Formats: sequence, structure tokens, C-alpha cells
Amino acid sequence: MKYAYFPGCSIHASAKEYAMAAHAVNKFLDVELVEIQDWNCCGAIDAVYAYNPLLSISLSARNLAIAESMKMDVVTLCSACFFTLSRANNMLQENADIKGKVDKAINDAGLKYAGGVKVRHYMDILTNDVGFEKIRQQVKTSLKGVKVAPYYGCLLVRPTGIQRFDDPEHPTSMDRVIEAVGAETVYYPDKTRCCGASLAITDEEVMMEMTKGPLVTAKNAKADCIVTPCPMCHFNLDAKQKDIESHFGIDIALPVLYITQLIGLAFGIPPKELGLNRNVVSPGNLLQKVKLN
Amino acid sequence: MNNNQSHQVTHETPDPSFIEEIRKMLGGDRILDCIQCGVCAGSCHARFAMDHSPMQVIKMAHLGLKQDVLSSSTIWICASCYTCASRCPRGLNIPAIMSGFKNMAMKNNVPAPMELKPKFHKTFTEIVGKYGRMHEPELQMKLIQKTSPKALLHNASLGLRMFRKGKLKLQPSKLDSSTHFTEVFKKAASAGTTE
Repeated sequence: MKYAYFPGCSIHASAKEYAMAAHAVNKFLDVELVEIQDWNCCGAIDAVYAYNPLLSISLSARNLAIAESMKMDVVTLCSACFFTLSRANNMLQENADIKGKVDKAINDAGLKYAGGVKVRHYMDILTNDVGFEKIRQQVKTSLKGVKVAPYYGCLLVRPTGIQRFDDPEHPTSMDRVIEAVGAETVYYPDKTRCCGASLAITDEEVMMEMTKGPLVTAKNAKADCIVTPCPMCHFNLDAKQKDIESHFGIDIALPVLYITQLIGLAFGIPPKELGLNRNVVSPGNLLQKVKLN
Repeated sequence: MNNNQSHQVTHETPDPSFIEEIRKMLGGDRILDCIQCGVCAGSCHARFAMDHSPMQVIKMAHLGLKQDVLSSSTIWICASCYTCASRCPRGLNIPAIMSGFKNMAMKNNVPAPMELKPKFHKTFTEIVGKYGRMHEPELQMKLIQKTSPKALLHNASLGLRMFRKGKLKLQPSKLDSSTHFTEVFKKAASAGTTE
């Protein structure tokens, strides 16, 4: 199964380990991601959109136009890119006025977008193209007894009009992947709460209040780790965890893994190949627990 | 951080053209369908940091209170999580409406309660225009200049944490421009501002 792969800016910087782990597990699942040549920033939710909506849609359109010639579905690992590209794609398919204006901007650069591309998240590929059974068959290392809190966040499942593959209120796709690799999911009430996203940059205290929620409830539910499908959520939950601990005077120390890193552990892939040494909160205790199995 | 002390709505003269302006915005066409049920207000994960709830902001928009809407912290705090939109029984795209208000506030030079906000959007867009991709350290550096030494130190600590883990990419990732990124960016940017 081949896909046109849109990495996105985070994947090339802070979230590299998410992709390292994805590429490592893909070999076991017959999934091939072919990078879209010369891709550019999607527009990042409302970072560019609030400043200039037409520019944001055009940035996404350039990527979609390049991808269209590849004749494959576009796949991204990032929930924010998934949302931003999908929103632009919908508008280009449904709003003739926008389509006309965007065409003007991209046609002169020699690009054309007919509107035939499907934008999908990697979790959709695992759920619907690969299937949980195929994932189960590749398990080599037992994750028995490992308790995982799946954190869906927002843009993987929520917005209307995107290529929906899971329930926005009670999503289960990650729960099913976690169960397929032999780990346990824990119930905690915050799996679809918002982490505050880019408020990390502009309103850090608001973001910390928002991210504290899932960290604390997952910890109280006795999770060994949280898993996420989104680089922005990962940044707030993992890289900012120390700041949240000191700001509120609480102890969390909860490892946060990308969903691909958890799958990779179950497939017996060495932690280093999964980039687990790049996670800010040490997953040491978790790795110890896996080793003892 | 908490701006939840509901600030007094001013007695500004209602602007009857405001609602038509909103209805022309992307995602704003359904604003009059709001029934003030409060699902958005009750669902909002960032409500604690807003002066008015999303429901109140929409009512203020119905009433033509343009200045009150555009100067509220609500429109800037909205993190586009889409919880409200996915639950709205009337199908309003509330985060898109909030983005539209941010856009209007920036175009009309209405000061934001959080001064970093408009700068964030502008700087983010400029960096994307420069490299084609986001370069996070540059965004952080440009946004921090005006704030306190304490904030600087705090950011340095995060930077170090990221650097040690190989998560801080000092060099920006650039495009080879084979498909004329700059041309697309410039054309779309000017088409978008003259809207």
C-alpha cells in the first residue's frame, strides 16, 4: 500500500521520532510512504488562516496540487496538518469562488489542482487499510500488563467535513491498536480534551492549565504512559511536562509515546530505532516493564 | 492569565453592518442560526481564560457590538479544538468564526488583550513565506524579544531541554523552489489582503 506522504514541519524537527517509528513499523505492515516533493507548510490550523485565509488555503493547495500527480491518497502523521489540508481540500471542492482565487495563485506557478485528492491521517490507514488483525499478527514482544492512556486530542477526530474515520465523542481507533499490540487501555475522562495547542507559545499559563488535565487524570488512572497521534499534543504533554510540574507543584513523570513508538516496541524494534531516546520524559520504567515480560 | 472576570460590555452604538460582514466571512454564513443553547459555552476547554463565552460573543455579534467582539479575549484564546463545532446543534463553525474575528481585529488594528497574539500570526506567516516551512526557534526568538528576562530564562531552559534531545533544529528546512513556492506565496498573500 503506497501513499503520498506529507510530513509537515514538526516531523522534520521536534517530532522526528514519530516518523522514525512510523517508517520502522511500516515495513512490517506493507505500508509505503512516498514523500511529496518540495512540500511546504500547510498553514498550521489557524496560524496563517487568521492572518490571511486565502493564503492558508493556497499553501495547502500547492501541496495538494503536487500530490495529485502522484495519484495516491495523501497521508500525514500530524493531526494539525491533517485538519489544515482537509479544510483547504473541502473548500476547494465546495466553494467555487475560493477555488477560482486559489487557482489564480497557483496556476501562474505552473500548478493545477483538479480537486481529486483524498487527505487521510495515518491512524485512518492503520484502522481501515492495514486493519487491527494484521497489526496483531506482527507482535513479537509482549506488552502484557502495560497500561496505556490513549490521548486523541482534537483534530484527529473532531472537525466536521474531514475524512472522518472515528467517533468525535468516543473515539476508539487508538484503543483498538493498543489492544491489538497486547497492552491494556485505561479509562480516564480527558482523552478528547484539548491540550491548548499553540497557546504554548502565546499564552503558556493557559496551555499549562489545559494540558495538566489529561496528564493528571491519566496518572490517576495508573497509566504507565500516554500515547498520542499528534506532534503538537506531544510537545505540550512531553516537552512541557516539567514546566507544568513546577508551575503547579505536582509530580507527574508520565512518559508520552507516539502511537507508532508503542507499536514498534510490540514489534520488537529496538527503542533507539523508534527514537525513544528523544522523548523528553524518560520512558525508562516503561521499557523495564516491557523487558520483564 | 485568567481573564474570566466578565468585563462590562460597553454601551457602544450597534453597528448594523457587522452581521453582514460576518456572513460574508468564510464559515460565517450560518451565524444567525445560533439559538443561544449554550452547548459551546459548556463544552469550551478554554472558557476559564476567556472574558466572554463563545455563546456570548455570538450574541454580541448578533447585536452588532463590533468593538466589544473584536476586543474580547475570547476570540484570541480559542484554540480551534472544534469541540463546540462538533457539538453545535445548529451547525455553526464557531472556530472559523473566531478566526474570522481575529482577522478582522488585525485588519482594523483593534488592540488584542494579549499583545503576543496578532504578532504570533503575523510572524508565523512571515517565516513560512521566507523558508516555505516553519522554523520554530526563529518564531520563539521573534516573539520573546519584548517580554521579561524571566521569560527569556524560562525559554532558554525549554530550548536546552529540546536541544539535548536533538529536537531543536537550528537550521531552517528550505524548499528547492522547483515549483515556485515564492510566487504562489506572494500572489496568494496579496489576493488575500485585498479581500
